[in-house]
Amino acid sequence: MPAASPSNDQAVQAVLARLLGTPLDSERLQAVLAAYAPILEEIGKLRTLDLRDVHPAVVYEPTASYRSPK
Amino acid sequence: MDALHWATLAQLKRGLDARDFSSLELTQHLLDRIAVHDERVQSFIHLADDALAQARAADRRRHRGGAPLPLGGIPIALKDNYQSRGMPTTAGTRATGIEFSHEVDSACAERLRAAGAVLLGKTRTHEFAWGTLTPPVANPWDLERIPGGSSGGSGAAVAAGFVPMGMGSDTGGSIRIPASFCGVVGLKPTFGRVSRFGIVPHSWSLDHPGPLTRTVEDAALVMNVLAGYDARDPACQDQPVPDHTADLGRGARGLRIGVIDNHFMDRNAPAVQQCVEGRLHELQREGASVTHFSMPILAYGLAAIYAIELASSGAYHDRWIAEGRSTQYQPDVRALVEMGRLVSAVDYLKAEQVRAVMAAEFRRLFDEVDVIVTPTEPLTAWKRDCDTVAINGIDESVLAASWRLTYPFNLTGLPAISVPCGFDDDGMPIGLQIAGRPFDEPMVLRCAAGVERLCATPRRPPLA
Repeated sequence: MPAASPSNDQAVQAVLARLLGTPLDSERLQAVLAAYAPILEEIGKLRTLDLRDVHPAVVYEPTASYRSPK
Repeated sequence: MDALHWATLAQLKRGLDARDFSSLELTQHLLDRIAVHDERVQSFIHLADDALAQARAADRRRHRGGAPLPLGGIPIALKDNYQSRGMPTTAGTRATGIEFSHEVDSACAERLRAAGAVLLGKTRTHEFAWGTLTPPVANPWDLERIPGGSSGGSGAAVAAGFVPMGMGSDTGGSIRIPASFCGVVGLKPTFGRVSRFGIVPHSWSLDHPGPLTRTVEDAALVMNVLAGYDARDPACQDQPVPDHTADLGRGARGLRIGVIDNHFMDRNAPAVQQCVEGRLHELQREGASVTHFSMPILAYGLAAIYAIELASSGAYHDRWIAEGRSTQYQPDVRALVEMGRLVSAVDYLKAEQVRAVMAAEFRRLFDEVDVIVTPTEPLTAWKRDCDTVAINGIDESVLAASWRLTYPFNLTGLPAISVPCGFDDDGMPIGLQIAGRPFDEPMVLRCAAGVERLCATPRRPPLA
């Protein structure tokens, strides 16, 4: 496998930034990714759970916009 | 009558009703005290220009024989993320181009005003209520230590005798953490019990408004003012509002207490662990029963709250990030809001699934017990500029340590209170946390009042 070149890295960063929709420039994105790494490790625990039968605690309430203001 | 600045809401109300002193005298006394001591504590970011005018109006109303109001003429403080008429709101940020209304009252400010309170000023918060430090506020018990956060200004102001009540907001523990560290009472009500209208959002499904007070009775009195439906808050629920003071004197006899051994009781500083266990034994001697449980899903709680909180605040700040305004935020807050886009939608929804499982687990426990008791914090307030703390020889980041025992009740939306229960060897306060069923604040307050009665005469921080 060829070693990643700086230009490849930049291309990957650009694709990543586009996928994420982040306006951060490459240098800032790298810094944020580094800060996020330990948090991602924690969030990664969620991926080990099989929760297919659990409804998430997010419920759309179609009547909400019909409430009177006060 | 205790010195005015240490008096509780209940004592102040009695004194004002009996005309022992006027609201103007009380308000001036507290402003004088703030002028002398807050240079060191730094709890207020703004004092209301019209505080004395509000007090005069309260006195005039009383002299005219107007019906007594629950907080008539009593000065209180709002955290600087509550919008309020006539006072600036910064949410702790200095970023330019981000402004909040000073023409609209948040629902809480509106209710407190209607109850007769004098809105004395705004207390400091860490930027956008993130984090646990609330710079530059000092802990009145030791000015070298943090007050906890993000409602650290309110915690410090109440502990220092500047106001008998300060409002806080709690997304992962931000009312209960400063309450524990500053030796005051902090109540995070059930999600949907108190309207969030007009509070600068941190994370929509985790934010809870609530009071910090010196006594449990005062927290109950404030809840009688704040609780109730408000259609302007989509999460607010139209539930009956009880008298939150009604059960305070019922004591511990017959109270069924649950203790969750994993997560809450397995990694605390020895002084905290001993203090909380001691109070549990005393409650048992007074007739409460204690049942021990295990809840393995708590191992996924940190992951869940990270995913929800980062994604939510990322969405809230998205426009400001795009406009480059987040570059002016404090470095830690900037990084946290800019991380929001890194949380995948799948991870976010799995976090919401974990939340549902956790809520069901607590529901199962509450079939057998009335309240859950835990320490509020695994340790007491630490010195400024610490990034990590050692608990039983294991290093942990201050953020991870400070909200470990509080965030489960933000994820589940259950009511939870921190009540002072003792001191460590350095003289720093220890808090005991009590959580209950949804909308069962009266039971939580009853248990908290029982703990409060076990404690000796309250100590005061070493301010003059």
